[in-house]
Amino acid sequence: MDSLPKEKLEHVHVHNVYNIIAPHFSATRYKPWPIVDNFLSGLDKGSIGADVGCGNGKYLGVNPDVFTVGSDRSDKLIDIVRERGFEAMVCDNLRLPYRDSCFDFITSIAVIHHMSSPERRLMAINELIRVLKPGGHLLIFVWAFEQESRSKRRFSEQDVFVPWKMPKAIYGPASSQPNTAVAEDGGDVVYQRYYHLFREGELEEMVRQSPDAMVEACGYDRDNWYVIASKK
Amino acid sequence: MRLITHNMLQCHVKACPPGQSYPLQIRNAELEALDAEFNADFVRRLIPKLDWKVLRSTAFELGVAQLPEECPAEPTEDDLQMIHKVALQTRVKEAEMVCSGCGHVYPIKDGVPNMLLQDHEI
Repeated sequence: MDSLPKEKLEHVHVHNVYNIIAPHFSATRYKPWPIVDNFLSGLDKGSIGADVGCGNGKYLGVNPDVFTVGSDRSDKLIDIVRERGFEAMVCDNLRLPYRDSCFDFITSIAVIHHMSSPERRLMAINELIRVLKPGGHLLIFVWAFEQESRSKRRFSEQDVFVPWKMPKAIYGPASSQPNTAVAEDGGDVVYQRYYHLFREGELEEMVRQSPDAMVEACGYDRDNWYVIASKK
Repeated sequence: MRLITHNMLQCHVKACPPGQSYPLQIRNAELEALDAEFNADFVRRLIPKLDWKVLRSTAFELGVAQLPEECPAEPTEDDLQMIHKVALQTRVKEAEMVCSGCGHVYPIKDGVPNMLLQDHEI
């Protein structure tokens, strides 16, 4: 893993993987996440926000009284979002194409853990804070190193590859796209996604590094750490 | 891309001269009208969040509507309908967005802006 430069690591083990697994990934993203739903449902009517790293757009329709722009680094996921009729664009969290202080709320659900160095994770978080209005709210969810006892996953280090298995019978043979690391396991094609698993307090500490952010709540929910912050 | 989204977008090329990265100019646009439900209260709350000058000039340049010079302080039902039409129902389907500062071109295809940059532009 360390042999690849950070940009290349994310390209091969995050961006390309999500482009290839997009339809299968989307078919598995339907379970509600109560903390995210509560955050979105509590927003003022007429709020404008961005869901940065929106995946298949699972949260874009939760609250019909707000306007949300979805974005993702994966154009194949954004194709799915567009087909569902949501507002969407392709962009990179490390440099967001939005003007300063223009959104009332930002959600970042299962995104920052795909950035492959502390500097890049901090840069992504600072971009979220930059585009937020003073008084606006931010919700960040990342995968936890500390997995619940009932979870089948156990991790021994924080920077890991997590396999995504796609049944060949449904989604066809392995992609021959350049910059793709791929293996086969019986009837499945296996792609490795890069994750940085956050330890307790790590996400909160990163948000607190921003002089503009104020942490309002943080906690653990279903194998994830989350932070709710506002902009000063 | 609806025009409300264009209202938030700016060029993010690193070398782009400060102060000139916003708004992006829309060129060669193909527009479509979306079917979005009108909600007067929602639009009223949306107005103070918009950059009125940019919404106005963009709507004018695209031939969508002529909005008043100043944002109406107490919008009538007609004002709200008009803003709804411009900001939420007008969708740019195909176009190029060009930065006046550095000339970078961001394509819009099938209603979706692609705002990714090459590595050397970041």
